[in-house]
Amino acid sequence: MEKFLDFIVRAGSLDRRYIFVVIALVVMLPLFFPLNLPIRPTVSSQTIYDTVEKLESGDKALVSFEYGPSTKPEIHPMAIALLRHLFEKDVKVYITCLWPDGQFMAMEAIQQVAVNQYQKVYGEDYVLLGFRPGNEAVIKGLVSNFRKVYTVDAQGNFLDDIPMMNGINKVADFDYLFSASAGYPGTVEWVQYAADPTGVTMGTGTTSIQVNEVMPYVQAGQIKGILGGMPGAAEYEKLIGQPGIGTSGMDAQSVAHIVIVGFIIFGNISFFVERRRSKKY
Amino acid sequence: MFMKRQLPIAIAAIIGFLTLFGWFVDEPNIKSFVDDDATQWFDILASFAIFLGALNLLKLQALKIIKKQKGWPYAALAIVGFTFSFTAGFILLGSYNVEISQYDDPAKVATVLASEINLDEKSAENILIAMPEGDTYTIDTPYFTKSGADDVVEKINAAGGTANMRATEWGSHISTRGSLFNWMFRFIFTPLSATMFALLAFFVASASYRAFKIRNFEATLLLISGIIIMLGRVPIGGNISSWFIMYIIVLSLSAGVNTWFKNRKYTLASVIGGILIVTIAGMITGWPVDQPAIFYLPVLQDWIYNVPNVAGARAIMIGIGLGIFATSIRYILGIEKSYIGE
Amino acid sequence: MKDKQFWSVAGIIFVLFMIYWVAGHPYFVSERSVMFWSILIVGGVLIYSTRMAKRGEKIFLRTIPGLKAVEEAVGRSTEMGKPVLYVPGIMDMDQVETVAGVVVLGHVAKMTARYETSLNVPVSRAIVMKAARESCRESYLLEGRPDLFHNDMVHYLTDDQFAYAAGVNGIMLREEPAACLYMGKFYAESLLLAETGNSIGAIQIAGTASPSQIPFFVTACDYTLIGEEFFAASAYLSQEPELIGGVKGQDTLKIMAVAVMLLATLFNFFHDLNMISWDVLGFLTVQ
Repeated sequence: MEKFLDFIVRAGSLDRRYIFVVIALVVMLPLFFPLNLPIRPTVSSQTIYDTVEKLESGDKALVSFEYGPSTKPEIHPMAIALLRHLFEKDVKVYITCLWPDGQFMAMEAIQQVAVNQYQKVYGEDYVLLGFRPGNEAVIKGLVSNFRKVYTVDAQGNFLDDIPMMNGINKVADFDYLFSASAGYPGTVEWVQYAADPTGVTMGTGTTSIQVNEVMPYVQAGQIKGILGGMPGAAEYEKLIGQPGIGTSGMDAQSVAHIVIVGFIIFGNISFFVERRRSKKY
Repeated sequence: MFMKRQLPIAIAAIIGFLTLFGWFVDEPNIKSFVDDDATQWFDILASFAIFLGALNLLKLQALKIIKKQKGWPYAALAIVGFTFSFTAGFILLGSYNVEISQYDDPAKVATVLASEINLDEKSAENILIAMPEGDTYTIDTPYFTKSGADDVVEKINAAGGTANMRATEWGSHISTRGSLFNWMFRFIFTPLSATMFALLAFFVASASYRAFKIRNFEATLLLISGIIIMLGRVPIGGNISSWFIMYIIVLSLSAGVNTWFKNRKYTLASVIGGILIVTIAGMITGWPVDQPAIFYLPVLQDWIYNVPNVAGARAIMIGIGLGIFATSIRYILGIEKSYIGE
Repeated sequence: MKDKQFWSVAGIIFVLFMIYWVAGHPYFVSERSVMFWSILIVGGVLIYSTRMAKRGEKIFLRTIPGLKAVEEAVGRSTEMGKPVLYVPGIMDMDQVETVAGVVVLGHVAKMTARYETSLNVPVSRAIVMKAARESCRESYLLEGRPDLFHNDMVHYLTDDQFAYAAGVNGIMLREEPAACLYMGKFYAESLLLAETGNSIGAIQIAGTASPSQIPFFVTACDYTLIGEEFFAASAYLSQEPELIGGVKGQDTLKIMAVAVMLLATLFNFFHDLNMISWDVLGFLTVQ
């Protein structure tokens, strides 16, 4: 028994590299041997889905890409899922980017969903307006005068020559606004300067870490729903019936969380044993 | 002295007051300045200031290499990376397209085309045949070098087709799919960024293992809520029955009884009694996974997220907002001058 | 500003404003009056607290362990002969937190100058580099040690978030600073920095107003300044009466904000019961 307790105390100050190896294994293995755990959509994800479901064919949705390669695993799946949902409903999609990296992410999403999957027509069903520098100044500009900020799209076409840009002069002309955001500028700036002042319905998808910051706006009703990180993406994929990377990542995330909890419990057991011993001696 | 002391403070005060009170003024020029120009001035300044930073970086890395200081190979790598991305963005266009407008014999041209677009010859031939009259077919992936594109143009022309090379416009070459810059972004920058972000998963595990110890009441609360959120947020949490949680609660309470009363009989009674109550309740209700909801992890997680978490977040946000306002007022009024070095 | 000067200027501004208001306040966005008066009240409270402190009023500041530990951390670095690493966040000078970080850097630089400890400040933005350099230069000059200052102690790495984190981690692993201070605006890289700092055995003090990063710093660092404690750092470290008065003003404002919230809740309750017609939420909502 003493030897066992000795082992527990020693393991309490385990070299972090062993922890890294275990985490690497538990994340990798479910990717090769999927568990297919059932996914339960939360109220926040359901709200976004319901809001988009209410949109009709021909409605206009402004989707803003504010994430880069580092947060792509979390946010790209939800952006893809949302685009799928919007294109299923024949909603016209207008894509802006407040991050320079966001334009690359948007191009990939468009290629995968609009071009390869739904064969949508550029300029009639969707348009990539591209990145503009200026952070919240861009949002303020879009709210007051869309065409002051964007005179051409990402491909250099004049907005006046793009059929679906007819009638679009400010943010209030849109029926829905979605921000796929990983930081600043992002969701908070969109809700403060665009959605709340204009009353345009807004949804958002953020990294799991950011959900904390955005929840007060969701609770206040200024944002209708939030997709939080990869779980949020998986939930939305389940709701639209098209599983993707979000869903496949949930097995790995589930097992990783269980292992982390296991480590925490083990660490506490070691802590208690050590404390009892130091009291004893 | 005036330039280093009074002038910066005067500029901060004037611009600060203008931006603060400009929001209340319904005058187009002021509104335009406050809403658009003020932040754009800053962006323009910051964009030019990048040269200072870049030169500083290059200077330090070069000195490290010259003096062969510890870690100088990394400095060499930094300079190589900097030079490569600078070149791909500003010097080399890296995006040359090949357009085919005509062909005499589609089969011959398809032989060349197939090798360029990684398809079999038949599929390449079908693409050419499907090309409408008067239209051009552009090979999807642009070529990094002009000579590379010219080579392909020559081969197609030799095979009886008419092809020409079209360089992507400067500016668009950054975002054109397949260009040198885009290749660098997709295959070097993206994996590196994703790797760094992925490190967080490992660091979260090691930080949790080290820090989540039951040292006091607050730490215990942090630990329990952390576990509930971690498990409730993922699908596996939905598969953990609330009855399992109830058994854990019974055992934890019994541990508490043991610590408090230090009496084996009481402890045994609480364990057996608790287990019996939970088991009988479970048998009566049929062991539903998500009932009672108060012990179901996803429901608990939702509640923690939406109630205490948001309450705390709101309070911190309000405090931070006040702090930001107070700090900003200090800068605008010139009370705080440390940022200019005083 | 002396009392007489202050009241003269305040009086002139007040008279001019009253003339403007009585004249029909042209160009003024009337829907935002509540916000305007709120700003004046908040500003007035802060100015009042600052002036009272300058007059010699004794103000109690509770001990903030993280700020007390800054000097210990620098001392520890001196004893071990290792540098102090200071990270002023990853955002630019348009963020108040970054400016606050540069201000705290000035105080830390005074300590490193005094103890002759080397200071390493990798930055993520070129403008921050210039501002931080000026701040450090002044601090070293004030401590009478301009010879110890060199431009390269504040150096630019990269604008990109994770490339910056990788660079700072590399510095930590190579130079092994004894103290790591993270003061500014951070995002996801906060845990990367804090864990790496922990792995090299450095004492870590963090200060940020980014709500989502505070938990990571609390978990991984020895001391964390949460939210306003970070903004109060400058007052705490300098002990200047004006700044301490500002901190007191902030606390007064918080009490006022709580009172407004409670009153608004009460009035809204009565409004919902149709006992009063005044819609307090509509009144307080920013247009």
